[in-house]
Amino acid sequence: MSFQNPAALWALLPLGAAIVALYLLRMRRRDLRVPATFLWPARTDEVRANSLFQRLRFSWLLVLQLLALAAFAFALARPQLKQEGLIGNVTLLVVDSSASMGAKEGGLTRLEEAKRLAAEAIRSAGAGDRIAVLEAGPQPRVVSALSQDPTRSLDSLRLIRQTDAESDVGEALRLAAALAEQESSARIVLLSDGVFEPIEDFAPGRAEWVYRPIGSTVSNLAIRALGVSRTPSGHQIYCAVAAWGDAPLRGELSLYADGKLFDAFELSPEPGKEWGRVVPLPAGTQILEAKLKAPGDALAADDYAVTLTDPRAALRVLLLTRGNLFLERALALDPRVTLDKAATLPEAAKPESPGPAVYDVAVFDGVPETAVKARGILTFAAAGPNSPVVVEGTLTRPEAISQEQHPLLLGVSLRGAYFETARKVRAKGPSRTIATARGDDPLLVVDDTGSQRRVYAAFDLLQSDFPLQVGFPIFVANALDFLGGTQTEGALAIRAGQTLALPADRAATWTAPDGTETALLPEDGLWTVRDTSLIGTYTLRSGETVRPVYAQLRSERESSLRPASELRLGDRTVEGATTPAQFADFWRPLLLLCLGILAAEWWLYMRRS
Amino acid sequence: MRLLEGLRLNPSKSFSGRVRGERLTQKKGLSIEFADYRNYTEGDDLRHLDWNVLARLETPILKTYRDEEDLAVHLLLDASASMAFGDPSKFAAAQRAAAALGYVALAGGDALSLHALPLARPPANFRGRARFPRLNHAVQALAPEGQAGLTSGLRHFANSNARVGLVVLISDGMDPEIVSGLRTLSGRGHEVFFLQILSPIERDPDLEGDLRLLDAESAPAVEITASAATLKAYRHNLNAHLESIRQTVLRQGGRTALISSDDSLESLVRGVLRQAGWART
Repeated sequence: MSFQNPAALWALLPLGAAIVALYLLRMRRRDLRVPATFLWPARTDEVRANSLFQRLRFSWLLVLQLLALAAFAFALARPQLKQEGLIGNVTLLVVDSSASMGAKEGGLTRLEEAKRLAAEAIRSAGAGDRIAVLEAGPQPRVVSALSQDPTRSLDSLRLIRQTDAESDVGEALRLAAALAEQESSARIVLLSDGVFEPIEDFAPGRAEWVYRPIGSTVSNLAIRALGVSRTPSGHQIYCAVAAWGDAPLRGELSLYADGKLFDAFELSPEPGKEWGRVVPLPAGTQILEAKLKAPGDALAADDYAVTLTDPRAALRVLLLTRGNLFLERALALDPRVTLDKAATLPEAAKPESPGPAVYDVAVFDGVPETAVKARGILTFAAAGPNSPVVVEGTLTRPEAISQEQHPLLLGVSLRGAYFETARKVRAKGPSRTIATARGDDPLLVVDDTGSQRRVYAAFDLLQSDFPLQVGFPIFVANALDFLGGTQTEGALAIRAGQTLALPADRAATWTAPDGTETALLPEDGLWTVRDTSLIGTYTLRSGETVRPVYAQLRSERESSLRPASELRLGDRTVEGATTPAQFADFWRPLLLLCLGILAAEWWLYMRRS
Repeated sequence: MRLLEGLRLNPSKSFSGRVRGERLTQKKGLSIEFADYRNYTEGDDLRHLDWNVLARLETPILKTYRDEEDLAVHLLLDASASMAFGDPSKFAAAQRAAAALGYVALAGGDALSLHALPLARPPANFRGRARFPRLNHAVQALAPEGQAGLTSGLRHFANSNARVGLVVLISDGMDPEIVSGLRTLSGRGHEVFFLQILSPIERDPDLEGDLRLLDAESAPAVEITASAATLKAYRHNLNAHLESIRQTVLRQGGRTALISSDDSLESLVRGVLRQAGWART
């Protein structure tokens, strides 16, 4: 046992001495005149000596008062006992619901095991303990706020559903840390298998962190690759299945072209190895799906993959930047985009590299434009020799005054946007100025005459409020359409858990693979869909138009199912613990004991009176 | 007064008087109450010869009769400070009782003397019904202010040259030595009628807390914690004190009665004078 406020125990001495001194002092009595005093008993235990002090006699009242004082002083000292268990006085349970938590071990998924542990911990909580439940899913959320009601906390566990997506555990822990910051002694318990990105730039705060690792190494087969490439002999499908774990598994991979089975393979890759095949793509295929069946396979979410054969249905974008969160987010919003970020041009994107172009679009943000192997190039500020402009100087606070009707500027207005500086440029060759500043200086220049489409913006995004305006993500989407090809109205393939933003003009209905329907209303010209946490086929129904959206996991990290034994929180490492120790306060029972003793003392006093 | 009409104090003893009165004595004298026969001696009043006996036996036999004298009634009213307690006060009840008993004595032709205890002033003597207003005035003029003990007053009275007679003591008896005082009175030959008056709060005190009890007279103060045990002990002591007074008075041939200070005069007359036999018609 230890004390959080041991100084309070020193109060015992003076207060105890004061109580004893009161018993030593002669009691001042109320005078009452009576006809005769000889009839009144001379009770020696009641009659006090006629002096300032008297001899201390044994008194149960004194004993009870000293006991009550001792209980009160001990309560003030805030004693605590070391106990084992997940729950503290204030506990925030963070439950990971990512795809890897769906791995089955011993009849239960990891998420079910995490919920069982959480329920067990909630039931073991003391009367005054407060518990909150948070879900670390693709969208972190507080499932139940801090509460002393265990029934409410237990009910909230049922609201946590398994997802087939990667989860943002870092954001969930930041949310928990923010909630815990308001409490004096909070404990944050993460129930997870630890299969998530290392958490950087994290301030753990003053809360106590407990990581309860769940799961063990299990065998898993996962579709690692499914793609279509154009070869001299026609379109070829490349598919690969990876094996994780210790025990080899046998499985069967089936390939579907537009929903029809056209090939199947039996496979049994060694653990840690990969099985791959290249097969011809049936002519006219639009949607290619792969499904894997393997008895004993721990995780089902990675047994499905889909790819769209239309090259415009997916865009691989290379962003060359020194850091621009606005641009990254705007690019990531587009469901077609697979984004790679780099500070310098990768070898694979250079024109002299062999093979077909890796990237559909290259975006130069503050990095001087260089020759790159891509269908389209978007450049902000730093022009290069291949840019459609010639830089002549610098403009200070240019003001956009006119813009042309161009697909790039549909739904976008540069008027009203503030630019601190911009390059003073002149369009060269066949390029065309579509937005100009006062003084007829070009702000946006496009060139769609050559084999590469180019868009040049004379302003630097980080010296402008344009990224904060509604039109910015629309501008980026328009640019991707313009540079990568016209936007398809057909199917989309996304990663499960990805937030989807699609141009919208009216209400729509979003139907999930499990049949759940969500009404979508356009906001700022966009439908924003966040409920994509399951793999499978979603449908977006708007009027007569039905648009399928295929969601898949395709995450090597999730498929590895390798539990982490420790948790990295910024610079800090939290070791996994099965039964963490905690210090439990018990000043409340002491205070109740003090009140009980006082009640007994009062009863005794009244009984003697 | 209507209730008191026709009542006469009824002592169990007979006392010799100083003047002729209305009380029969053991002495032979002139009354219509036959006492005995005796032989005629020379000089006897021939009117008392029993002529029938003389005719039959030819022997002169004389009839003798009891004499009638007055009775000395000493009305001792306790005017000590302890009598001031109660609501109504014990002294007010004592004054009413003294006036009533005094009226009965005066109406019976007794020689009444009023003594206020402690004996700070000489007694006032009264005789005859017509003196009742003066008696009443004297009783009402008294106040409960004496600090000396009741027992010392009784002893002082017993040692005085007061005529032996009926002592009517009206007091609360709140003196630990009162039994001794009562014995002294009886030893002197007095018959004691002790009317004890207590207030309801004395018989069932309602006290709380830690108290210092100050004696109304001269006894030392007592500090108590008014607990249930303390009150129980007080009641036990009070009952023992009352019982010792009663037993002492009865053993000495006297009478005793205990009334409450809030009792009415009518209950005193009916309960004490008539039923308890303190007076007869």
